[in-house]
Amino acid sequence: MPLLTSTIFAPMAGALAILLIPGKNKKLIQFLAVLTSAVAFFISVFLLAGFDKSSTSMQFVENCAWIPAFNVNYVLGADGLSVAIIILTTLLTLVSIIYSLNITERIKEFFFWFLILETGMLGVFAALDFFLFYVFWEIVLVPMYFLIGIWGGPKKEYAAIKFFIFTLFGSLFLLLGMLALYFNSIPHTFNFLELAQNSSAFSFKFQVIVFIALFIGFAVKIPLFPFHTWLPLAHVEAPTGVSVILAGVLLKMGSYGLMRVSMPILPLATKYFLPALGIITVINVVYGSFVAMAQKDLKKMVAYSSINHMGYCMLGMISLSAIGFNGAVLQMITHGLITGSLFLLVGVIYDRAHTRDIDAFGGLGAKLPVYAGFMTIQAMASLGLPGLAGFISEFLSFLGAFKVWPYLAGISVIGILITAAFFLRMIEKVFLGPFNQKWAGLKDMDARELISIAPLAVLTLLIGLWPRLCLDFIDPTVTALAEMFK
Amino acid sequence: MLEYIYILPLMGFAAAGLIIAFGRHLPLKGASLAILVSSWAFIHSSGFTVGQYKISMGVYVDSLTLSMLIVVAAVSLMIQIYSVGYMKGDKRFKRYYAYLCLFTASMTTLTITDNMMVFFMGWELVGVCSYLLISFWFEKPEAAYAGKKAFITTKLGDLGFLIGLLLLFSVMDTFKLSEIFSRAQAGFLSIHAATLICILLFAGAIGKSAQMPLFIWLPDAMEGPTPVSALIHAATMVAAGVYMVARLYNLYLLSPLAMEIVAWIGAMTAFLAATMALVAYDIKRVLAFSTISQLGYMMLGLGVGGYYAGMFHLTTHAYFKALLFLGSGSVIHALHTNDLREMGGLMKKMPVTYMTFMAGSLALAGIWPFAGFYSKDEILVWALSHNTWIYLIAAVSAMLTAFYMTRLIVMAFHGKPRNQSKYHHSHESPLVMTLPLVFLAVLALISGWGLNSGRLFEKVLNATVPFLPEMRIHVSHMKIALASTGLALLSIFAGVYLYAVKPEIPEKLKANLSSLFSMLDKRYGFDAFFLGLVKVSDFLGRILSRLDFDFIDQIAIDGWAYLTYKLSAIKAWFDDNIVDGAVDGTGYLTAFCGRIVRLAQTGFVQNYLLFIAAAASFFALIVFYH
Repeated sequence: MPLLTSTIFAPMAGALAILLIPGKNKKLIQFLAVLTSAVAFFISVFLLAGFDKSSTSMQFVENCAWIPAFNVNYVLGADGLSVAIIILTTLLTLVSIIYSLNITERIKEFFFWFLILETGMLGVFAALDFFLFYVFWEIVLVPMYFLIGIWGGPKKEYAAIKFFIFTLFGSLFLLLGMLALYFNSIPHTFNFLELAQNSSAFSFKFQVIVFIALFIGFAVKIPLFPFHTWLPLAHVEAPTGVSVILAGVLLKMGSYGLMRVSMPILPLATKYFLPALGIITVINVVYGSFVAMAQKDLKKMVAYSSINHMGYCMLGMISLSAIGFNGAVLQMITHGLITGSLFLLVGVIYDRAHTRDIDAFGGLGAKLPVYAGFMTIQAMASLGLPGLAGFISEFLSFLGAFKVWPYLAGISVIGILITAAFFLRMIEKVFLGPFNQKWAGLKDMDARELISIAPLAVLTLLIGLWPRLCLDFIDPTVTALAEMFK
Repeated sequence: MLEYIYILPLMGFAAAGLIIAFGRHLPLKGASLAILVSSWAFIHSSGFTVGQYKISMGVYVDSLTLSMLIVVAAVSLMIQIYSVGYMKGDKRFKRYYAYLCLFTASMTTLTITDNMMVFFMGWELVGVCSYLLISFWFEKPEAAYAGKKAFITTKLGDLGFLIGLLLLFSVMDTFKLSEIFSRAQAGFLSIHAATLICILLFAGAIGKSAQMPLFIWLPDAMEGPTPVSALIHAATMVAAGVYMVARLYNLYLLSPLAMEIVAWIGAMTAFLAATMALVAYDIKRVLAFSTISQLGYMMLGLGVGGYYAGMFHLTTHAYFKALLFLGSGSVIHALHTNDLREMGGLMKKMPVTYMTFMAGSLALAGIWPFAGFYSKDEILVWALSHNTWIYLIAAVSAMLTAFYMTRLIVMAFHGKPRNQSKYHHSHESPLVMTLPLVFLAVLALISGWGLNSGRLFEKVLNATVPFLPEMRIHVSHMKIALASTGLALLSIFAGVYLYAVKPEIPEKLKANLSSLFSMLDKRYGFDAFFLGLVKVSDFLGRILSRLDFDFIDQIAIDGWAYLTYKLSAIKAWFDDNIVDGAVDGTGYLTAFCGRIVRLAQTGFVQNYLLFIAAAASFFALIVFYH
């Protein structure tokens, strides 16, 4: 059975099935959406079972001609870099869909777009052909545009358009870079692996130009300073489940792209641009954390903390070492789990209180102990508490980066302190102190919320205590990648 | 047997999980499953591999480990027993015990690990337990604030610790203690690298062990339940910084400058904190300042080369300071107040508490034969052999210590009760609380003499560091002991005189020297300084946030969009008017020409013939004249 194809297109099949159901049949639509994303998740878990951890080569490879005239092929494969992200994607989609069962407006379209979105994201992470990658990359845009624009908050149209234009702007450069690579490879090819093998044939000047083009495309997604301003807006306006996907998966398309495309295919340019990348990284880490600290809106705070956390991911990458790469890839996973849960948790309180103002609460810890517990765990994970997932990835990123860029890594630790400061302040203001009687009617988390949030908390703890759960998959691939740069 | 030592922290983690899960709240069963799975994962994880490096969870056990482990285990046990009485009826009793277990487990992890990364994990985890327990009664805003303050202040120091660890790894290529030591001996470290690493790591200890200038968090940490103050903020966690320096003594010995810094920071801390204790009225805060001061002593001891002296004082201090905190807890439990000005005369009502508290105080003041006498003496000897100034600072601090403890005892236990109704309702604490007091009092009495006799402890401890420094000059133990005992007795008499015989004198002093008193009360402005730092970073955050939204987003990005929009409007106008105008104009011109030419098309044959004739004549004329 072609596992990757099944994983990618199971959601699309579900989406098409949902289209056939009359809109009145809400329960059936919801059931089908959950079922489909669950099926996609379980198929992707089979990937783990069949994955050969010792191998550094591509696994589950599927290859067939698509547009032979231009050597465009339908090539899929997974390695240590992508397999964990694929599972993260199916998991986050599943829990987001479960969480989104509280959506009441235009359910049919909502789940249709959500499942199409999943197909697009999975395709990005599994595609090994640049053309195919680009097609999936663009597919992601459309559902996201509608999901923000229709089901979002007060400024949804503005946010949706901004997101769309921003990303499209990046895609344009991506397209140019892709075509440049295609026309300069002999024989012309879109295949990532073949391009990487022939990387020595690309001249330095050519690499530099193509790197800039691809970088703009990826930087918008990660997002790196100064291409980041779509993020707070889109994250805040998007409905809860969609914010989870935005932060948990979409941002990783950028960092994944850098590691899958830019680094192996353009090694000379990668090395050349390292100092510049390093400076952008530090800005992301420090600037992101400071701006997050100034936010009064809970969701905006979490959104800006993503900029800071993707900075840690970049920090691991610019080390060009096995340790740093391990940290970077693990950071993609842990950030997905942790920030994903944080967005879900913000949604929980917003659904009840209809406000996200940090100063509006107080003493909720006494009234909502379960909620306070989950929020505290994930906040602690996000600020890098050992024993929880965020610590290992951040530590490895720092460890890798410090060897090569001691000063940049040294400055970046400020981000850790500031992150701790704003999360603790949030906990103090929302959960501690005297109980604010205004919220006497609030209820603790219900089953739907628990089912969507608890699995992420369990994984956060599990990866924190047993990082091998992820690192065993990641390590061989990224070690091979690091070898390239020695 | 020793290879199973990892079971110690594991039991703690498991206990913490089980308590949280199987309290009365059965819905949490799912969580318990998760915790069991995690524990299983933890057991089966022999670390992980990244690239060529392997991070493993091994143990490193020597006599230093064991001496620390015994302290942690003994004090933990006493506190757990005592808490049964102290926390009785608290609505979050279950959670309290879960946190305590988590703390003990983390502290044990930190103590026995053979790996600096795992050490750092334990180090951060004890910090978080401290945070959770300080703000345990989180309905009180002060408690919530104090917890946050403690976490962030220690985190500031931990940044240095983290950078130190990163540097250590980038030089040594390993986190394993045994390899670090052997590579340090093999000369992997230049003296500069060693200095830098040691100072950076020490920054972490400055935070965690409440040294100057990061000691501001510890007095506020007293908002937590008193047994927690005894366990975490007196005996074990705050001593972790001292333990860290001792654990890495091999590295510190490589750098005389780092040692000197440790010694001076310790000495300054010991002195400053002792002065601050003089004016505090909160019984727990007096003890907190005293703890800071004593931790400074330990650092001082380590810094001047007294490896055994520092660890010896850590051990004895753990017992008698835990005792003092538990004693103050017993008083607070009886009176429901922390304020010394509301106490007095408790001696008769609470005899067991009084006697044991007395034992602890004498130990702290360094009176023979109590434990503090031996360990403090050891530090003073090393200090004098190293540097007279440091010795003087230490001796003055010791004097101050005896003085403020006398003040505390006189105010709390002697004289007439100042608050009659509170006094009236007070009572001796239950057996479950007094029993740990008695046990710890016995330790406060004998642990110094016992550990010092035959100097066995010194021998086994010194065996863990291969090249310990010798004392620079020989100093007579006897003379030091006499001097310090004399000074201590002197200040005890002074304390008794000032607070029991003539209590009006301190009041007058306070009125006359109000600026000095308020400076001490404000902790020399350290708090204000760090609050300023917080304000500055908040300000920076707000500025950057404005920049992010107003400038980058609204002006740069949306401005660009606006310009594009405007440009397209201009293009539209150009298209409508110029391009389309040109097209239309061409059409119009054609039509116009057509209209003009049409005038000639009259339809009359005569006219056409006339045109032909005229043209023919015209051409004929041209041909003719050419």
